[in-house]
Amino acid sequence: MAMTAATAEPASADRPARKMPDRTFWLLAPGVIWMVLFLVVPILMMVYVSFWTQTTFAITPTLTIKSWVMFFSSDTYLSALWTTIRIWLIVLAATLIVGYPAALFVGLFVRNKTVQTVLLVLCVIPFWTSFLIRVLAWRPMLGKEGAINLILQGVGLINKPIEVLLFSELSVIIGMTQIYCVFMVGPIAFMMGRIDQSVIEAAQDLGAGFWRIFRTIILPLSMPGVVVGAIFVSVMVLGEFATSAALSGRKVNLLGNIIVTQVGSLKWAFAAVAGVILTILMGIVVAALLRVVDLRKEL
Amino acid sequence: MAAVLQLSQVTKAYGALRALDGIDISLPDNAYISLLGPSGSGKTILLRVIAGFEAPDGGSILFKGERVEAVPPHRRNIGFVFQNFALFPHLSVAGNIAFGLENRELNPITDSAVVRAKVKDIVALVGLTGLEDRGVAQISGGQRQRVALARTLITEPSLVLLDEPLGALDANLRTRMRAELRAIRERCGVTFLHVTGSETEALAMGDTVLVLDRGRIAQADDADTVYNRPRSAAVARFLNCYNLFEGQLSKDDFVSPVGRFPLQGQKADVRGQPAYAIRYDRISVRPLAAPVTAEEVRIEGTFIADEYSGAAINSFFSLDDGRVIEVESHLSQAAPQTCVPHGRYALVWKRQNALVYA
Repeated sequence: MAMTAATAEPASADRPARKMPDRTFWLLAPGVIWMVLFLVVPILMMVYVSFWTQTTFAITPTLTIKSWVMFFSSDTYLSALWTTIRIWLIVLAATLIVGYPAALFVGLFVRNKTVQTVLLVLCVIPFWTSFLIRVLAWRPMLGKEGAINLILQGVGLINKPIEVLLFSELSVIIGMTQIYCVFMVGPIAFMMGRIDQSVIEAAQDLGAGFWRIFRTIILPLSMPGVVVGAIFVSVMVLGEFATSAALSGRKVNLLGNIIVTQVGSLKWAFAAVAGVILTILMGIVVAALLRVVDLRKEL
Repeated sequence: MAAVLQLSQVTKAYGALRALDGIDISLPDNAYISLLGPSGSGKTILLRVIAGFEAPDGGSILFKGERVEAVPPHRRNIGFVFQNFALFPHLSVAGNIAFGLENRELNPITDSAVVRAKVKDIVALVGLTGLEDRGVAQISGGQRQRVALARTLITEPSLVLLDEPLGALDANLRTRMRAELRAIRERCGVTFLHVTGSETEALAMGDTVLVLDRGRIAQADDADTVYNRPRSAAVARFLNCYNLFEGQLSKDDFVSPVGRFPLQGQKADVRGQPAYAIRYDRISVRPLAAPVTAEEVRIEGTFIADEYSGAAINSFFSLDDGRVIEVESHLSQAAPQTCVPHGRYALVWKRQNALVYA
């Protein structure tokens, strides 16, 4: 939601004052009505509710900043904020490290369009199963008696199971990286595919070796893909709660988990505070990512 | 003149297709060479093999006396100007031009003042002064062409390969860039190998014209010789100014489907398909009743249409077997015979002007 807000503004500024019959604006009506009713109003409502007075069993529309004060004075919530930022950064880096080389291969070195499509579809195949199954499937994989530990013990590399694999921050990171990697691969591979092969040959012909070409040509030309991928991954990871709930054994609390818990115990005002903070965080992240490249120019 | 590039028996096949079928060429230093070939003749593949983007299946490539088949393209120092220019879309004009100097593997120039000075020189040479800071999407096609050329020339290659460099420009600009390219080459003193599918471009540009036919060099001569004495029927066909008749050579005649053409001592020296060629502008159109001298060959045809191109008129006649003959009449010489549609005329040429291949 933060992303729509950030991109909509420059896009409308870019549109020249072309002479259009005023009627055409009605085409926007369904979208605008929908967004106002189900996005703008709820966001404003969330901000409003975050200032309501919360008692144990009830919530009253008397304005107060008590919930906000509580959030910023509680170690639990501040550490959840910090954990969210930390896991987001690690997952972002991991998806980039795993995804970029794959995208480079698919987008640039596979020149056959059919093979390229097949490889990209292969990346998406895990998405044919439900999110919950994908997350829960990591348990028999990473658990103390899971596949990885059994195999490592079988070949004699370790003699007792590695416990840190499951119900830890590591398992959350492993799970999220696997789930969100494809969102990084897709946009980058798309940008790579748009690089004209002859541009790379021209750089070669002018005497540049592979790493030089990578640094001076391929990397800058693929940056828009990296930024779009990073926005996808960031928005999804920052709002995550299911993966951490399923794979951390409640040890890793993200802002998303806090919201779920507070809503569950009917602490609406408090959930709203966490929601507003999360929204602001996403807004800052997306705005910062958009500063890296001028997407309007590049796409 | 020393040869800057020598290819001998270079072959390259894609499956059953022999794209390069034993290429032998020797390019002199400091010359403008044009390479004429129809599409599919293997001309782009030949350039890519020379530049190192494709490895030849066999044969040897000597560049400045050294074998380079195994040398990767970025260590060859052979310039390549791409048909679509292949400019770096994220760099400015100056950034594009400086790329080779700053990023080449063999002694890159790290001193930005030196780079700037060299860019300034080459920008002046190709006539781009004032556009250095523009993005490459903000300049015209002709200017992009110059950037592509400047970017290559600044690395001081001994040989520059140009792959249909004028193909992406509009007709007006193309003619202007021809003279420009030749002038730039003379100032740099390097060898240009200019590949083109246009016979007029090949003849106008090249000190030497190479003609490529199905993966082989069919002819390598100066423009005048190529135009007046194409070495094979295929070369004559590419030149787009010869009427060709297939047939057989008998003692003193060439027997074609439209009749016997008496010869006048032409020796048929080139192997390949037997053919009889007469240039468009060597044929004159006369009324059926007009007399014919002993040195002339005469056939009859039905007038179809003509095409006015300013200095000349090209007329088309269909012969009795359905083939179309083109006649070019230069308006500066004499008012040509005016023809009525569907009228029959005599098409006459001198025996000695015909070329015979057998």
